[in-house]
Amino acid sequence: MSLADARAIQPSLEAVEAEPEEDARTLENIAAWCERFTPVVVIDAPDGLFLDITGCAHLFGGEAALCGQIVTRLQAQGFAVRAALAPTPGAAWALARYAHISAQERGEEALLRAALAPLPVEALRLDEDAAALVRRLGLKTIGQLLAAPRSSFTARAGARAMLRLDQALGRTPEALSPRRPAPPVFALRRFLEPLFSVENILVATERLCADVIEKLDLRGAGARRAALHLFGVDGRDRVIEIGVSRPEREMKPLLRLLREKLNRAAENLDAEFGIEAARLDITRLERIEGAARTLAAVEEAQAGAEQLAALVDMLSARLGPKRVLRPKLHDAHAPEKAGAWSAALHSSPARGEAYIPRDGVMRRPLALFSQPQPIETIAAVPDGPPIRFRWRRVLREVARAEGPERISGDWLGGLPTRDYYRVEDKQGRRYWLYREGFYGDSVARPRWFVHGLFA
Amino acid sequence: MAGAPLHELCPAEAGAEPAAMGLALGLAAAWAGRPGVVWVGEEGAFAETGAPHPPGLAQFGLDPGQFIVVRASRREDCLWAAEQALSARGAVVVCALAAGGKPLDLKATRRLLLFAERNGSTCLLVRPLADASAAWTRWRVSPAPSDAEARELGPPAYAIELMRNRAGPAGSRFTIEWNAHARAFRERDLARDLSAASEDGPADPIRARVG
Repeated sequence: MSLADARAIQPSLEAVEAEPEEDARTLENIAAWCERFTPVVVIDAPDGLFLDITGCAHLFGGEAALCGQIVTRLQAQGFAVRAALAPTPGAAWALARYAHISAQERGEEALLRAALAPLPVEALRLDEDAAALVRRLGLKTIGQLLAAPRSSFTARAGARAMLRLDQALGRTPEALSPRRPAPPVFALRRFLEPLFSVENILVATERLCADVIEKLDLRGAGARRAALHLFGVDGRDRVIEIGVSRPEREMKPLLRLLREKLNRAAENLDAEFGIEAARLDITRLERIEGAARTLAAVEEAQAGAEQLAALVDMLSARLGPKRVLRPKLHDAHAPEKAGAWSAALHSSPARGEAYIPRDGVMRRPLALFSQPQPIETIAAVPDGPPIRFRWRRVLREVARAEGPERISGDWLGGLPTRDYYRVEDKQGRRYWLYREGFYGDSVARPRWFVHGLFA
Repeated sequence: MAGAPLHELCPAEAGAEPAAMGLALGLAAAWAGRPGVVWVGEEGAFAETGAPHPPGLAQFGLDPGQFIVVRASRREDCLWAAEQALSARGAVVVCALAAGGKPLDLKATRRLLLFAERNGSTCLLVRPLADASAAWTRWRVSPAPSDAEARELGPPAYAIELMRNRAGPAGSRFTIEWNAHARAFRERDLARDLSAASEDGPADPIRARVG
């Protein structure tokens, strides 16, 4: 029907431009808001949401009460809402859209069939082809479709209709993709009165922690990563994420990390409307091997390693994983590749014995500049170390030098070949210098750099 | 010096920062206990001397498996991280402050001392020369020229001067060389091993002269 036709029927009709993108954003916001009821929220564009409330309903006084709450609260926000509860997503979709009931108790398949039977076939989430085909066969309701022999549906469109029917009745499982992957373990709590103070939020966090630990214990697993969601009355979802470097199933360390982050985020929590619900997701878990520890020495070493691991967790939580680093040694020629740093939170300690040169004289600097610093050399002998050089505006007289150690450009990812020298000045300061290019190469004058400092 | 909770290592002049770093890492390697060595540095300090280079650390005799580096963008993060690390019993924590910025106040050094004392850990504070401090010892450090064949480089060597000593007289000067295999400093002039590990503790290069 065109707008003109519609106006002919109802002259006072108000026309509003469709804004699909804006609608999608609103739906996304509603989905985010719904996470306070369950972590598993699936967007069913353009106008629907699936909420998997498995394991959540008891917190809200039962399934029907939960469903009712969602509807009333969304209506209070000015949305027109229809909701239905069913054992399968397909049935919930059908009942929400086509049944004149706002909520439906869960039931057996027989009950489900009875509930779905009077609904039109469109309630089965059929595309146009499939709906048209079913209609052509004279089947108008789901009940008629159920009664019809399956063999009459051979075409592709017919097969799709049967699949939707099976999904609605739970005969065929249906995989939905939630907004974020369902956490393997989570705990949800909602509060009778909104929480305003960090102390109260901490108390709630402790309870969530206890719930989660209990579930982890049953699985014989520990947490590697966790996310605490704080749902505000204002509709916002504040997320606090923590990670630990080994699977953790003790309450204290997890709680300490959460407390640390919460205290730091306290200003940004901006909880002037209060927090009405909180959820703790274990987003990554790992099995804990229950190895028997008997030897005192092993315990001693482990105590040290555990202390260090706990420290790494703590420091990473506050400063960020990129600031807490472990050395990595690689068997590579390029200095930048031979030694690297990786986030201690996500890596295990480097193994292997330290390699110490026989004479105790260091071949590699203790500190390396991420960007080699250009220097001005004075009176350098061709193919030898400089006699003097200027770096950071200070002229340095070379007293001792060893080299060159050639590192081919092939190892440097296509950069020019470098000749490295270990150089000591008259004051005893030691530098790791290199020359890029050769004299007589005539293409360009060789350039010199300080790459690192020996200590 | 070993067993005392807080020491200060101050570069004698601009350009001596790597020497102070070397002395700190040497002492850390000599004393490294169970939890290991934690190097907490201000970004400014990394810019000055470069960032620790893992192959260099290994050649220096530090165990890379027991080494953590923390890069702090702010002074207060740096001190906080150092305090947390000192809470690990027996840890050796090197806290390196950048040359610029406000001098560290007495209170901050007292806090480090307190954390170290309480947990039996050791803090090596690398900082520019300053007045007020709660440290047990303060050393002025500069590099010492190699003592080797002509044109060759020897093992790491430092000229150090004890400027403050809570447990005894100050003013002594030494030239010491790092032995990475023994994980100990030896005094060069005496040509004897002052740092041979005693039976009840880690290598202690300084006590023989100071204590």
